[in-house]
Amino acid sequence: MKGPQIAIESKILSNGLRIVVAPDSTAPVVTVGVYYKIGFRLEPQGRSGFAHLFEHMMFQGSANAPKMEHIKLINSSGGVLNGSTMYDVTNYYEAVPSNALERVLWLEADRMRALKVDDENLNNQRDVVKEEVRVNVLNQPYGGFPWLDMPPIAFRNWANAHNFYGDFADLDAASLADVQAFFKTYYLPNNAVLLILGDVKPSEGFALAEKHFGNIPRGAEPPFADPKEPLQNEERRGQVEEKFGTLPAMAIGYVMPPRRSAEWCAMALLDQALHGGRAGRIYRDLVLEKQIAVEADGGVDDIFGYNGPSQMTTRVLHKPEISADATLSAFDAVIAEVQEKGISLDELEQLKIKWRSDYYAMLEGGRGGYMPKYGLMHLVACFSLFDGEPRLVNTILDGFLQVTPEQVHAVAKKYLSQQNRAIVFRAPVAKKEAA
Amino acid sequence: MATPSTQAASGVPALSAERAVTWPKRVKSRLANGLEIILVESHTIPRFHGQLYFRSGNAAVSHRSAGLAEMTATMVRTGTRNRASRQIEEDLRRLGADLSSSAGQDTSAISFAGLSEFSEPLLALVNELARDASFPESEFERERRQKLEEVKLERTQPGFLAGERLRKVLFGEHPYAKISPSEAQVSAYKISDLEIVYRESYTPENSLLLLVGDFDPSTMLVTIEKIFGNWSGKKPAIPVAASPANPRGRRVYLVHVPGAVQAQILCGCHSITRRHPDWVKLGLTNSLYGGAFNSRLVMNIREAKGYTYSPRSGVNALQQHGYFSVSAAVRNEVVAASLTEIFYEIDKLRSLPVPDAELADAKNYVSGVFSMGLATQDGLLSQVGTVALNDLPDDYLETYRDKVRALTPADLQATAQKYLDSANIQIVVVGDRSKIETQAVLFGELEIYDARGSRL
Repeated sequence: MKGPQIAIESKILSNGLRIVVAPDSTAPVVTVGVYYKIGFRLEPQGRSGFAHLFEHMMFQGSANAPKMEHIKLINSSGGVLNGSTMYDVTNYYEAVPSNALERVLWLEADRMRALKVDDENLNNQRDVVKEEVRVNVLNQPYGGFPWLDMPPIAFRNWANAHNFYGDFADLDAASLADVQAFFKTYYLPNNAVLLILGDVKPSEGFALAEKHFGNIPRGAEPPFADPKEPLQNEERRGQVEEKFGTLPAMAIGYVMPPRRSAEWCAMALLDQALHGGRAGRIYRDLVLEKQIAVEADGGVDDIFGYNGPSQMTTRVLHKPEISADATLSAFDAVIAEVQEKGISLDELEQLKIKWRSDYYAMLEGGRGGYMPKYGLMHLVACFSLFDGEPRLVNTILDGFLQVTPEQVHAVAKKYLSQQNRAIVFRAPVAKKEAA
Repeated sequence: MATPSTQAASGVPALSAERAVTWPKRVKSRLANGLEIILVESHTIPRFHGQLYFRSGNAAVSHRSAGLAEMTATMVRTGTRNRASRQIEEDLRRLGADLSSSAGQDTSAISFAGLSEFSEPLLALVNELARDASFPESEFERERRQKLEEVKLERTQPGFLAGERLRKVLFGEHPYAKISPSEAQVSAYKISDLEIVYRESYTPENSLLLLVGDFDPSTMLVTIEKIFGNWSGKKPAIPVAASPANPRGRRVYLVHVPGAVQAQILCGCHSITRRHPDWVKLGLTNSLYGGAFNSRLVMNIREAKGYTYSPRSGVNALQQHGYFSVSAAVRNEVVAASLTEIFYEIDKLRSLPVPDAELADAKNYVSGVFSMGLATQDGLLSQVGTVALNDLPDDYLETYRDKVRALTPADLQATAQKYLDSANIQIVVVGDRSKIETQAVLFGELEIYDARGSRL
């Protein structure tokens, strides 16, 4: 089955910046992204949450666009923008009417060249980030569960195990000097990729990119700490208090096979067999049939977007009258079944059709109707930064469609083992009566 | 051409000539049984998106119980006369499809998306869910228990508690006042109630089938006729609810959550529906006030003062009555300071004309984002669906940008005076009363509730 082929043109400027253009004139809209190969995994020790705080600083002013100018210029061109910090990359992106393309490139080049921020900006964004953490984590039922709870229990290398949103003490300790040092170390043309997707001619995209980014000096290749984990040979467990929620919860995470291996493809389909919506085995068994759980979901988060140790994680909220042990036993029975019997060819064929359909959907959107081509941007950026091969976006699907039932069975036996997993229990604290 | 914009920093490239925005043709049809159809081609990927809308939701059946249309929608995917729940889920996967069924205040919907190569079997499944749902007893008991846990859980979410209180305050006895059922109401749900809702609402005369994607419309029409042609059923009679009283004077409603480490502010007042002639004006006014990243409210309480991460304002367009709202989750110490700025920015818009340059920026933003939906199948689906469900004129998409660009500072000031009704905005704050009560009471007469809705 030959899927749609995305036109991809790519070149590398003399300063090391890779430019990727994917032309498509369907709508007069262009999506621009700049991805830097640094995420929260490899932020400095003692500075948890810094990569994300730094991402906020990238909107606080550059040499020729003072604070708010960047946001104002994008919005007033009819466009939207944002940024996000992930494990191994940080992105900055805009979707604008295509007549604003050069303006967007000018802005992105300006902040790649020089950040111009002060203590007032840093204090302001430190406050904003703390409210972000409160609204998403500290003041929400099951806030940060399990993406913030799991790493310290599952991993031993600080890179993988720390609080990615940041301990408040670490956020408080961050200084302007840290901001400039991080910028000088990682925010380099030779550690980034520029994506231009949509209503643009490749020649025009390359010319504009060269004009605005061409003279940004290359920097020293950034040092990257080794995110490798020591071999795990025991099941790991931990407890976290749930302050607001009414149901006991648990999350079970299994470490994934190496990225882009045949086992990785097989594991992705096994993940779909287990977590693929209401047809997935875990939801079907725990929620629909045994009726132990109220919610059961999860999977491999952003499978194409990480470049270091990662897990396939199941998240379960179960009924209060059922014990955590009984819930975990029911979960284990689902795992044991797939380890014993594997999956049928028919089930695998269903999973492949769904996987293919989901992949196309991701290419087109990925962040709702108002952020066109977010998914395409994300994939092309990660394949550029991790693999040096932006065109993988047109071939990576093949590996998944070639997976056999035997391979799925084999990875189930090898990776869904107790010594390859970690479990977080998040139980509600005893409630005091309202005053 | 885009409207000339603010003088930007030196060296900023000018906008080049704008490419025309062309909305795709909407192929409209109606089957003999009354089913309304809208088809839109979009060949970006070999998939299609669809919605089968029923023009009645929770509000239309609220005289029976709260949330009944939602519970009905939940049950619709759990079994038909031909397929058990498990079969439905596996068939969806086999078609590369996603499907959900849900209900809001004004509509119920089966939403779906999948590979174009399987459009016919997917539509056949949708047809089955719309006509032959069997409401199995065991599935019902499970879903009711799930719903019970869900309604308990939502009382622990600050955003839910704030929304629930504001809707009660603004809509009183009107069905829109109730955003979720109580535990007692869920426990009292009966299959027979759901079957009545299903029989009355899920009819071709009450339905709109909207498809966007990679297909040929004339072939698709033949397929639809084949699948849905022999469906029958009348439009339901929907009881008319009396207009809600519009609350006068500012009051403050504090929902007490012990131990909260942040305060969720939500303010609001009555406004208008999408059908109202002032809708476009209010949309632009809202965008400039707090509807965009570079809006006045975000610049003030986030970028200048750092009180909050995600302040936003919005116009909530329910079909019978709309309301304007402002929300911000702020740190406990700055509840009074945040409310002061929220009202300062409202009063400023009401009293002073918007500078021309700022207005030009806001117009460009609103019209640019409006046409972003062109680029994706689900973006088109959402825009075309909004027009159809609100019975807006056929040329709404084509003329919207011109309407936005014709607005003047005087229009915005008049709109703010009319709909950002400062003196009558109701204030809800969800948080720990020991941390925020003395601040909240500064803004009006205070009522305090617990998370279950009891007055303290």
